[in-house]
Amino acid sequence: MTTTHEAAPVTTAPAALAVRDVTVRFAGLTALDSVSFTVEPGSVHAVIGPNGAGKSTTFNVLSGVYRATSGTVHLGTTELTGLAPHTIARLGVARTFQNLALPPHATVTDSLLLGRHRLTRAGFVASGLRLPSAAREARRHLERVREIAEFIGLEKELDRPAGALPYGQQKLVELGRALCMEPQVLLLDEPVAGMTADERRRTAAVVAGVRDSLGISIVLVEHDMGVVMRLADAVTVLDFGRRIAGGTPAEVQNDPAVVQAYLGAQE
Amino acid sequence: MSETTTTGTAAAPRPATPEGTALAARLRHPRTYLWAIGSVLLLAFPFYLDRFWLQAGLFAMAAAIGAIGLNLLTGATGQLSMGHAFFLAVGAYGYCVLAGESSTENGHELSGLGLPSWLAAVLAVLLAGAAGGLFSPIASRLRGAYLGIATLALIFIGQHVLFNAGSLTGGFNGRAVPPLSLFGFGFDDTEVIVAGVPFQSSEKLWYAALLALLLSGLFARGVLRGRPGRALNAIRDHRIAAGVMGVPVARYRAGVFVLSSMYAGLAGVLLALVFQRTVPEYFGMVLSLEYLAMIVIGGLGTVAGAVVGAAFVSLLPQLLTHYSDSLPLVSAPGTGGLAPGEASRYLYGAAVVAAVLFLPGGLTRLMKNSGEKK
Repeated sequence: MTTTHEAAPVTTAPAALAVRDVTVRFAGLTALDSVSFTVEPGSVHAVIGPNGAGKSTTFNVLSGVYRATSGTVHLGTTELTGLAPHTIARLGVARTFQNLALPPHATVTDSLLLGRHRLTRAGFVASGLRLPSAAREARRHLERVREIAEFIGLEKELDRPAGALPYGQQKLVELGRALCMEPQVLLLDEPVAGMTADERRRTAAVVAGVRDSLGISIVLVEHDMGVVMRLADAVTVLDFGRRIAGGTPAEVQNDPAVVQAYLGAQE
Repeated sequence: MSETTTTGTAAAPRPATPEGTALAARLRHPRTYLWAIGSVLLLAFPFYLDRFWLQAGLFAMAAAIGAIGLNLLTGATGQLSMGHAFFLAVGAYGYCVLAGESSTENGHELSGLGLPSWLAAVLAVLLAGAAGGLFSPIASRLRGAYLGIATLALIFIGQHVLFNAGSLTGGFNGRAVPPLSLFGFGFDDTEVIVAGVPFQSSEKLWYAALLALLLSGLFARGVLRGRPGRALNAIRDHRIAAGVMGVPVARYRAGVFVLSSMYAGLAGVLLALVFQRTVPEYFGMVLSLEYLAMIVIGGLGTVAGAVVGAAFVSLLPQLLTHYSDSLPLVSAPGTGGLAPGEASRYLYGAAVVAAVLFLPGGLTRLMKNSGEKK
């Protein structure tokens, strides 16, 4: 990977994220039906499909919010299936949410600092007593937060409450918060949905910059096919909880099963 | 870090000031002077106020410490607790048992460990924390209102034990509270003349309570503005997102529950010292509700909110009762009209409703807004 940005590289070598035969059932409803795909280290892997195809369920399994009924998810050699969300986060899997999950009143700085949680140590006692170790740690990580804010183009908004920003910028804050976790794998749930054309371009550029400069693997759920085709190295297509196609963007685009899923069968 | 990090208000963006100009900026800010005047007044009060007002103030300070604890749990983390009164009782009675001597009072064989009272105060706070720790497996699994219902059980258990464990609690009539003494200095009713003013227990306790409130306020502010505070707020705002961000939700819920019960314990010790007698009736459900009222009225999730709310809830009834004779439209008690005591209670109720109705962010929000308009 060529380093074009000043952002520091991740500390551990990226590992492949392997999803094997994952099935999720909710009381009789099969949301995912033995889905398998592998996200190569440092690549952008898009998961697409019509509404209700199981894309968000996939994300919820990957980040530990849902338990898979069967099947496994491995990051490198570590099995993620069955781990609690915060343990998976500690292993370096970060995600954003389709519907914003930002505290409305906290400043952008605080929102981004929350992303540093797994990399910081200060507990109740150290913070309450304002021990020098806690202050040092806060200063050091605040610097890195500023760098990341610059990277996503929000350095001027750091002191503003995140809830007061336009929708597109709030989504960027979420992306920034996930980046603040210095993840190995970044799960982006519809990062450009609801954005203006300008914000879309900017966000796509940030995502491309993350892949090129940080070497993070990115799993992308997105409806905007332009963004998917431009960014993705590989695409997995889901429909009704099943994987119906996979491959490079060009391959997938011409796959008859995909066309049928999106446009309906020709009678 | 900016002033608005944990208060949750939409403040104007403030440019980062270099270290050198920070002091100058602070000197220009009216809040600095308000703080200075407030501190001088608080330090001077024991020289001028009579015992009634000192008691009321002490009561408010103890309540403020308890309210800070509840605000950490309910305001900052969104975990409702109805059991705060239970932990206040653990602190108050814990202190009595640890510091008191074994004796016979009102026909009860009271047991006491007779420890030095300062040590007993510290241990009583830790005891309240331990009680919170025992309950924390439940507190970590339940969220919001569900925890509120579960903590109701603590009130019932607490009341039962307080009324029936006679040898520890003295039963219905409670037990006397041994005065605090620190390094040979007794916070009791022996008179010490300071600058021509006789200092009794209220005057001496005033400074101890002031120091305790200051330290507990600073500690809570550090927690709220630091890494744990961000994690707690994240749990309140988006529980699932907090977990995905790497926050161990259950562990933080348990931790803040223990911390909040320690604050309640300290408040309980202080209340016991102020009252000089602990009675079980006081530590009922109404007390828990009063603490919830404090943080809602003052402002959820901040130290200032807890302190202002505690002052409002504990001082306003006293003020109204004290001056109820001069309220309009009241008649002497027993003559059939609106008695002063009743009138003050109606006014207090109206004030609470007005505060909640018109100041949804609490009283601290009001001050913030008026400060911003300038």
